[in-house]
Amino acid sequence: MSDALSDPQVVAQVLGGDREAFGIIIRRYEPGLLRFATRMLGSHDAAADAVAESLVRAYRHLAQCRDPVRLKSWLYRITGNRCRSHIGRRHTSDISLEDAPPVADPADTWAVLERSEQLVLVERALAALPEEKREAFVLKHVEGMSYEEMSAVTGARIPTLKMRVHRAREALLEALKELV
Amino acid sequence: MTDIDPRLQEALDGERDSATLPPELRDAFARLTVATRLLAQPPAISVADRVMAEVRRSKRASVAHRWAHWLAQPRAVTVRLRPVWTLALAAGLAAVVLLPGGGQPVAPGAQEGVAQFVGHFPGARSVEVVGSFNDWQRGALPLRDEDHDGIWHGAVVLPTGQHEYMFVVDGERWVADPLAGRYVDDGFGAGRQNALLIVRP
Repeated sequence: MSDALSDPQVVAQVLGGDREAFGIIIRRYEPGLLRFATRMLGSHDAAADAVAESLVRAYRHLAQCRDPVRLKSWLYRITGNRCRSHIGRRHTSDISLEDAPPVADPADTWAVLERSEQLVLVERALAALPEEKREAFVLKHVEGMSYEEMSAVTGARIPTLKMRVHRAREALLEALKELV
Repeated sequence: MTDIDPRLQEALDGERDSATLPPELRDAFARLTVATRLLAQPPAISVADRVMAEVRRSKRASVAHRWAHWLAQPRAVTVRLRPVWTLALAAGLAAVVLLPGGGQPVAPGAQEGVAQFVGHFPGARSVEVVGSFNDWQRGALPLRDEDHDGIWHGAVVLPTGQHEYMFVVDGERWVADPLAGRYVDDGFGAGRQNALLIVRP
């Protein structure tokens, strides 16, 4: 089994009955999906649940992926929907960060600790954004997607996405005055 | 929240070289760049084993299995008619299916029915139906156009209840049956809809 296969080739292989080939899709997209879900939900545990549910759903409905060339967008769309569903089930209106802050290891250097503190600051600022702006910012700047890809993921129009990204940047700059 | 300089937005969109920004904007650019680098670290977790365990557990009933099940069961049938110009064809089919063996109706009470699909796709090389009833698998239900008039048709036995489906034209174009009458969101966002079919006993 080769990871050099294109997405449509892997999809065809899975639909042809080779279940193990789905592992290629997981290896290819799991890191990004987990990062996206973690930034959306603010919790590794919730993100793991959301991504696992999304990938299982993707497997079961793989034949519904109408354009396997755009498998990545399809997977992000499913994961984004699943994240929204998780957020909707929460009682609080905003997302929470990880339950416990990272514990300092005596071996950590000052630079590592500073970086860790910076990350907490950035995560808090991101978590304070409204869901749609948070999603737009993460897809654009963390996942490095084009506006066309973002449109395929979210279903929103490109001008709308640009406005969300711009507003998210403004809010983050305001919140991150202490950064650097 | 205050509006930020359009030049900074352009640099962040990759439309302007950040080196051309004035010093006061470079600081803001650096802050957002640091923030995105921090957020870009992938979390050190994996769900691969969990997902693959579920994938290996999943079972899909084969088309052959479903046909074998159908052949073994008594049933009443429902013929789904859509375009007016198929009425005669469908009525003929219904007569054959409903009244086998010299006009004795099949005993009612079974939990399946016949769904007939008809679509007008002039010039198409192939048309097939994929749906919730065949796990959206391609190749399971091809339609036929023997006289090459662009009218594609086919029939399948389905369990009673609601089924979502789509036509796939030429292997790549997904089309919601324009004559379905009922539609549901496909559940993957982007506002796309599947056609809805209701099979009654």
